[in-house]
Amino acid sequence: MTSLRKRSVGDEYKPCQHLLNYKARHGVRGFHILQKCLRIRPPGRVSIKRDEKEVQRCASCGRARGRLYACLLCATIGCWVPPDMMHARSHALSRPGHDLVVDVDRAELFCCICNDQVYDPDFDRAVICAQSAALYSAGSIVKEEGVNGFTGVSLRTDREKCLIDMDQYMLDGSKKSEKRRKTRRVEYRPWVPSPEEQVVLRHRSTPLVEDGSLPSGLRGLNNLGSTCFMNSVLQALLHTPPLRNYFLSDRHNRTLCQHRASHICLGCEMDAVFSAAFSGDRTPYSPAQFLYSWWRHASNLAGYEQQDAHEFFISTVNGIHANSGTTSPRAKHSQSSSAGDMDCRCIIHRVFSGLLRSDVTCIICGFTSTTFDPCVDISLDLEPNIGSDKSFTDSNLANIESGRELKGASGSAFPGASTLLGCLDRFTRPEKLGVKEKFFCKNCQLPQESIKQMSIRKLPLVLCFHIKRFEHSSMRNASRKIDRYVQFPFSLDMASYLSSSIVRLRHGNRLLLIENEGYEQQVPSSEFELFAVITHSGKLDAGHYITFLRLGGQWYKCDDAWITSVSDEVVRASQGYMLFYVQKTLCYKASEFSTGRENYCWIEQNGNHFNPGFLSNPLLENGVSA
Amino acid sequence: MRASINRPPTPDVDEEKRDEPTLQDIINIKLIESGEKENLKELLRERLIECGWRDELKAQCRALMRKRGRSNTTVDELVRNITPKGRAMVPDDIKAELLQRIQSFLMSVAL
Repeated sequence: MTSLRKRSVGDEYKPCQHLLNYKARHGVRGFHILQKCLRIRPPGRVSIKRDEKEVQRCASCGRARGRLYACLLCATIGCWVPPDMMHARSHALSRPGHDLVVDVDRAELFCCICNDQVYDPDFDRAVICAQSAALYSAGSIVKEEGVNGFTGVSLRTDREKCLIDMDQYMLDGSKKSEKRRKTRRVEYRPWVPSPEEQVVLRHRSTPLVEDGSLPSGLRGLNNLGSTCFMNSVLQALLHTPPLRNYFLSDRHNRTLCQHRASHICLGCEMDAVFSAAFSGDRTPYSPAQFLYSWWRHASNLAGYEQQDAHEFFISTVNGIHANSGTTSPRAKHSQSSSAGDMDCRCIIHRVFSGLLRSDVTCIICGFTSTTFDPCVDISLDLEPNIGSDKSFTDSNLANIESGRELKGASGSAFPGASTLLGCLDRFTRPEKLGVKEKFFCKNCQLPQESIKQMSIRKLPLVLCFHIKRFEHSSMRNASRKIDRYVQFPFSLDMASYLSSSIVRLRHGNRLLLIENEGYEQQVPSSEFELFAVITHSGKLDAGHYITFLRLGGQWYKCDDAWITSVSDEVVRASQGYMLFYVQKTLCYKASEFSTGRENYCWIEQNGNHFNPGFLSNPLLENGVSA
Repeated sequence: MRASINRPPTPDVDEEKRDEPTLQDIINIKLIESGEKENLKELLRERLIECGWRDELKAQCRALMRKRGRSNTTVDELVRNITPKGRAMVPDDIKAELLQRIQSFLMSVAL
């Protein structure tokens, strides 16, 4: 069990004595003056120049080589070319108090006595304010005195209202959500049934059958004619901890669901599959009713043909969402939300829904347009395919709507074997959009070349990765499957792919964002644990899907009707197509329309090891578990 | 100190007194003045990221930090130790591309 992560550089960092002396004697005034000399180049690079045309040289040797530092006190520029040309250092040594300098290329503080970079929140705030101001310098802006006398920027005109000031936005956002979270996050309390509830539980529910040899719920699924795509996904869904807890605690009861009479309800079908899987019967089960309902739900995919497991997954979760006819009248809210809605209270979106952030920065003026898109899974590209069709931005927009995400290839290879982390790096790295796909910059009022960067704003409870193992060659006009091995970790830390980390990275080594307490904690847990892998073997149009599941620390291979236990190595060596990760530590939120207890039923600490004690029973009274 | 940062640039007369700038210095200054250096830097950055140089260098820095301990390493030491390795790791085709760009820039300036 992991405790809440508290990673803050601010806690550990102690500024050097020289910086403390400087600030004690001169305050933050020097930073204020320096602000006027900051030059911002997109994407977010800051340098120091007194005027645009100035060529900075070392005051002692007249050269413009190596690192150049400007003295914070007298603005003398000195060079730093180890080992012999250290004019910045000699300047500091010859004049006491002139210890601190600023790197003219990066606008970062350096202490010449310590020979080390130093950090100061006030300095960083000055730089970030100037950066924000530069982004709006083209439009009319109203400046106002901010904290510590620094210039803050407020947006007044209509046009600018639609611009998102990245920094202010992020800071305000984090403050707001901080406040909200404080009130909404609740402590974990295990549910202790009251005596009356115990009576009901004893009489109206079925305990899970524990036969010792295999974990409960592990049951083979018969292949109904090329339906391994369905079986593999069902196995993963059956053992997705929050989903399992939801269905096993009778939150979607198929005999009480009102939807069932009028429509096909995939939620009810899922409930039936759960009941069958956890019934204790180990003989393979035929999910024929589920298949039939799914055919009716997705009529374009009906038939005994082979289908894509990922497509099935998307279609199924959308189906469960659309018919999330819970029997609880309080949950009626969820019916009105549209698909992929972040605030949707249906079980699918509470489990799988995350939020992606996409920043498109104009390389001419530095204006950044930020959009947020919900997703239920993350599709990752493998290494780029040479000569591929690059017009991905249009298809991207279309795909984002269906909750899927695509990112174009951009013509480079990473060294060594492919890894999931490598794919994630590719996914979140800044990418130059080509000449063909110019983005219309609202600031320049022109289509401009731009840089796009994806990041993850909100992590879902269960992260589903889809590795795009197919490539399309526009030259041969044919698609093919990439049979490449992709290494994936059993334990995954998503911290560096979060918007907070990525945006901070873009600003360089600034303390400000860290200093804002709670910024890091905004993400309760970024550590994930692998619990299911769906693998594909064969070709693009024909092949076989197998699921590996981890239950109670042991891996099991689910190959349709056959279930065998396998070693970690077998899983590691498999050709993953879809990977399911669950958050290691789950947190608790008080829900608006519940008495509080409702939440604990489906979220349990360290969900993967939680063993639900009772099997869904149609007769179980609604009031007890819901 | 007040507004000292806005003082006029050092007069050129001072500089002429010092030893003659080398050809390298002259080219460097030309590149900065024209703004071409910024473009080259951006190009180089992009190339180094693409080829994995940046990740490799980052890994080396991490390894060095781990060896020495976080609190007794300074940026300056890090730069001194890593710079030779970093230079050696730059792929030849990237060097060639940059050289090509600098040459064509110099040609355009000379013409």
